[in-house]
Amino acid sequence: MAVLRTSVVGSYPVPDWMERLKTEYCRGRMSRAQLLDVHETAIKAALRDQELAGIDIVSDGELRRDNDLDYLLARISGMEIPRTTKDFYFDYYDVRVGAPLPAPSASTSLGLADDFVFTSERTDRPVKFSFTGPFSLARHVRNDAYPDRRGLVLAIARQLGAEAHTLVARGATHLQIDEPFLAGYPDEVGLAVEAINVVTAGVSAEWGLHVCYGNRYARPSWEGHYDFLFPAVLEASVDHLVLEFARKGLDDLPIVAEQGWDRGVGLGVIDVKSRRVESPEQVAGRIRRALELFPAERLMVNPDCGLRHLPGPIARAKLHAMVAGARLVREELVGLPAAPAGLRPVPESGTDHGPPVTAAAVTSEKPRPSTEET
Amino acid sequence: MSAVLLDVRPHSRLRGDRAVDLNAAVLPVLDAVTASDVDLSRVRVVADWVQYRDSFRGVVQSRRIGHATPDTGGPPPPEPLGVREDDLEIAVDLRRSGSVEAGELHRLTAAALTAADDDVPLEDWGPGSRSCVWDFNALYWSALELWEKSTGRGYEQALPGGESDARNAEAARELILELFGMWDRLAAAQALPDELYVLEIGVGNGGQAKVFLDEFARLDQERGSEYYSRLHYLMCDYSAHVLELARDAVAEHAEQVSSFTLDATRPCTALGFLEYKIFLVYVSNVYDNLPTDEVAHLGGRTYQVEIRANFASAEAAELAASVGIGIDRLPGIVHRLLRLGPSLLADAMPDLFPDTGTAVEFWRRAWAAVRLDERYVPLAGLDTYDLGGETDLGGELLRPLLESGADVRMHVNNGALQSFVDSLRLLHPYGRLVCHDLFVTEIEGYRTHFRGPGKYDGSVVNWVNGPLLAHVGRRRGFDVRYERFRHRAGGGNIVTMTAQARD
Repeated sequence: MAVLRTSVVGSYPVPDWMERLKTEYCRGRMSRAQLLDVHETAIKAALRDQELAGIDIVSDGELRRDNDLDYLLARISGMEIPRTTKDFYFDYYDVRVGAPLPAPSASTSLGLADDFVFTSERTDRPVKFSFTGPFSLARHVRNDAYPDRRGLVLAIARQLGAEAHTLVARGATHLQIDEPFLAGYPDEVGLAVEAINVVTAGVSAEWGLHVCYGNRYARPSWEGHYDFLFPAVLEASVDHLVLEFARKGLDDLPIVAEQGWDRGVGLGVIDVKSRRVESPEQVAGRIRRALELFPAERLMVNPDCGLRHLPGPIARAKLHAMVAGARLVREELVGLPAAPAGLRPVPESGTDHGPPVTAAAVTSEKPRPSTEET
Repeated sequence: MSAVLLDVRPHSRLRGDRAVDLNAAVLPVLDAVTASDVDLSRVRVVADWVQYRDSFRGVVQSRRIGHATPDTGGPPPPEPLGVREDDLEIAVDLRRSGSVEAGELHRLTAAALTAADDDVPLEDWGPGSRSCVWDFNALYWSALELWEKSTGRGYEQALPGGESDARNAEAARELILELFGMWDRLAAAQALPDELYVLEIGVGNGGQAKVFLDEFARLDQERGSEYYSRLHYLMCDYSAHVLELARDAVAEHAEQVSSFTLDATRPCTALGFLEYKIFLVYVSNVYDNLPTDEVAHLGGRTYQVEIRANFASAEAAELAASVGIGIDRLPGIVHRLLRLGPSLLADAMPDLFPDTGTAVEFWRRAWAAVRLDERYVPLAGLDTYDLGGETDLGGELLRPLLESGADVRMHVNNGALQSFVDSLRLLHPYGRLVCHDLFVTEIEGYRTHFRGPGKYDGSVVNWVNGPLLAHVGRRRGFDVRYERFRHRAGGGNIVTMTAQARD
């Protein structure tokens, strides 16, 4: 098994030309079939970019989605969207639920499994499929159907849970729930976790839970520290916490360790809100610091969040740097002499997964440092 | 045959007791056009009301309309289909043309049509934001003290209404209470940082800062919220002189205040360390005074408006004579003035300027005489137009504003856009930017009125393209709202823009 696997959080840059076309569609000036073709073409290119960068677990870049909410909300039966035209594709729908959502069934499928299959058939790499979680989706919906928000959150969770079952049945192995709004409502982590467990219940996949401080329009939506997640998140039935560290620094990482998180950590090593491209050494340094707290087999290496708001060339350069940085540390872990980062060529093919390393060989034997030391 | 296109902007002065006599104001111009040998099917006549007492325009002005797109490398771009290929635009200032005797108006138009070029240019053709009029503007702010001494009045008296709307205590109180409410909520969620930053760009003489800080301290004391001791009020201005006045004005709040000399277009250069930390960015009457280009969509094609500062020959002769030089030396002396300022110019050229006062007088006369020639140059594509600065602002941002295809000429407000975008980077996730200025709030507003440039005292003023700022803000996740400034009796032109991150 390769350690320090590299992955992406989800979204990928939307080029200007594609923004224009998506907006044309949202204004009713382009057909759905044409838009579908645009999306599929862009997804194939995004996959190729990730393969060229050497990403181990790739994604479709969420390129079919206008933003983090609309694509999913518009597909949930029972959600009312009075105005489906938008001035610009990235605007958000106004969404209302006026009656309890129907129980999940074949007829209420969100169709995400088709999206996954399209992607997985076009790459030989594992595919991570991510979707916004029930807590964040519910925050954007005017609730005229349930006595309280919890009812709505759990109803959406049941829809997503059914979709997750379908995804796994169609071959998905890596699923991720994104909760971009959670940091803004730290008192409601318990509800979010309850809903997450509804989604993941009985779904046999490697589950990630991504919580950041927001990345809408490349800006943080909130500021704070990850201590708000604990202890509630310990009850979440997920395998990885995928968190933002590059922009904010690694000071919150000890919190995750000290609060007893005993599963995987998706380590954000790329700042997606900055256009400055990290060096492989910088990435490696961040990983080394994380290794002081977590053994290598529990670390996944990823950007802080989606790359959507970065220009394509910068996003690609950041992914290359991330993979090169992870490789530097892998080589150190197996005792290979590390090539100077600046001399290592950018990977040209999709074969750069780094050397296979057994988990036993790299598990940190060092005592965990105290808070003061970190 | 196509007709001459006559575009009379629907200003309110076309009607009512004080209506301009359109026949007197426009017909002599049309007579002169038809009497000339220009191709009448390729001429447009635009008549609007230039509201500025001092402007850069003559009563009648001709603007050549180019056809060849600039070479941007590679094969030439496709020509837009169905365009109206005009050669010339004749612009008439209705405010003045109606009072010019018909024969004289005819003569002025004929002269504009012949494009006899005996004016004295101060620069080459180029986009508006790069013109030397912005050097005049910068000089005004950097040497304001000398200008004020010479004119005998403070700069604020040159503002419409005689003072900045920023001084309004009621507006400040409303803003502060909103801040307090938001801070209370963040404090309850244990998410309020220790240090509470407020930034004012273009602080002027400190009038607004004083009102804000006085109100802040009073309200904080009333509520017992202890926010005042955590407040960091950052005063920024381009002019060291007004910043000094501002420091004096807020001396009693000195522990809460820091001041910076700052280029308003790039606040992050000095304040980048405060990214996502500032709760309020306050800007009053700054954006209208920052460099701007103009673009136009005419007859189905998009143009950049290029300008060239010049002196009319008669005024050039008078100005040159005032300091005893030939006209040929005039552009060089003016640029030296703009580089050195009046004090150093007097030191450098004592034979022409025996003292600083003489140099200031020359500066004021030169400024009064500056005119702008204009021409339209086709854009090869919006992607070829760089809005400038160190931001990622590209010409494609203009597309939604031009896509209706209707004729329009509008400001790009490059400096204001850069300042705005840079300021948004500084805002805390719950922060907001509040700006009082002259905003055009609908693109239609550019079709009905002349929006600048004009001269205010020694500075340049333009209206600000509100829809463009709103689009740029929206693309960055901000709701941008405009409303008429509510705290001034009788309204006025000032509009309040508020940009706040979308929830």
